[in-house]
Amino acid sequence: MTAETLMLAGGVGAFAVTFYWVRSRQLREKYAVVWMTVASALLLMGVFPQVVMRLAEATRMAYSSMVLFLSLGVIYVFSMSVSLSLTRSRRSSVKLMQDLALTRYELDSLRERLALLEERVSGQ
Amino acid sequence: MRKSLIVLPAWNEAEALPSTIEKLQALPDEYELLVVDDGSTDDTPHIARNLIRRSRLPLHVVSLSSNSGIGAAVQTGYLFAVRQNRFDYVIQFDADGQHDASYIPTLVSTCEARGLDLCVGSRFSAGISEGFQSTWLRRLGIRFFARLISLLTGADVTDPTSGFRCAGVHAWRAFAERYPDDYPEPESLFWCARNGLKIGEVPVQMFSRQGGVSSIRSLRTAYYMVKVTLAILIDRFRPLERMDV
Repeated sequence: MTAETLMLAGGVGAFAVTFYWVRSRQLREKYAVVWMTVASALLLMGVFPQVVMRLAEATRMAYSSMVLFLSLGVIYVFSMSVSLSLTRSRRSSVKLMQDLALTRYELDSLRERLALLEERVSGQ
Repeated sequence: MRKSLIVLPAWNEAEALPSTIEKLQALPDEYELLVVDDGSTDDTPHIARNLIRRSRLPLHVVSLSSNSGIGAAVQTGYLFAVRQNRFDYVIQFDADGQHDASYIPTLVSTCEARGLDLCVGSRFSAGISEGFQSTWLRRLGIRFFARLISLLTGADVTDPTSGFRCAGVHAWRAFAERYPDDYPEPESLFWCARNGLKIGEVPVQMFSRQGGVSSIRSLRTAYYMVKVTLAILIDRFRPLERMDV
């Protein structure tokens, strides 16, 4: 199997997987756009291998090194964006949990006071 | 009358919590207690709620729905103080029985007398050579952080990892807005020193934990050292939020 066939298969696979996750509403369209772009890039490199070859020639890199470089670049960008997203969601989930805990405390205190008041009123 | 809140972050502290709350009962009436249950999976929330009726001092219990880490738990205490808006000082106190409640009035009075925004109970400050002072490896780490903070801010600190501290209104209001997630003590101390808050120390004696599990365990120690050092160094490049102006 050549590298081009592998990329072609990878591109088709990436398309199929992205489509499946979006269809089952497990992946937001926002992220699907980026993954579709990656799948298209893979397909493009599979169908037109000369694109990568020319890019490799222009940067004076070997074909394999160029493929590795591009892959690592994509992995880096995605991993970093996932880390950023996780940081943001961690912050907002902690804030929500703190607000929830404090509001629940206040609600319980109010309920206790209300019960006491009701007891006093019914005792009079 | 001056009012102070003692915040006890508790994660799976069912074993040690009753005796810790019991020891705090000797404090005068100006103190209130707050147990922040950090999503414990043992009986901690249940035990804490049962202690409400037995406690002479007002005891409040707030439960986070899942484990969020020591930083988030302590910050919940500061947020509680903001919402209640009637406390002058907020004291952080371990639920595992490591801290000695008899030092609490000294921490508060030192804050008041010296006009400190943050007073840390130090195991290594002059005057204390007894009590639990941790393993030699941890002491080495503590010394490293103390030197790092002193070097970067000029503040004289000896026990930057101590979780026994008293925050004045400027400090606890700032902590309610921003507080580090995990291993927060050295980082928050550095933030205070860098942003013009007045910090000081009081010598205290500590005990070994009475139960539960430390949040800093074997392999995590290395991660702890790297993470906190990185956090302090990066914080150095953030814009100043001078609190003394």
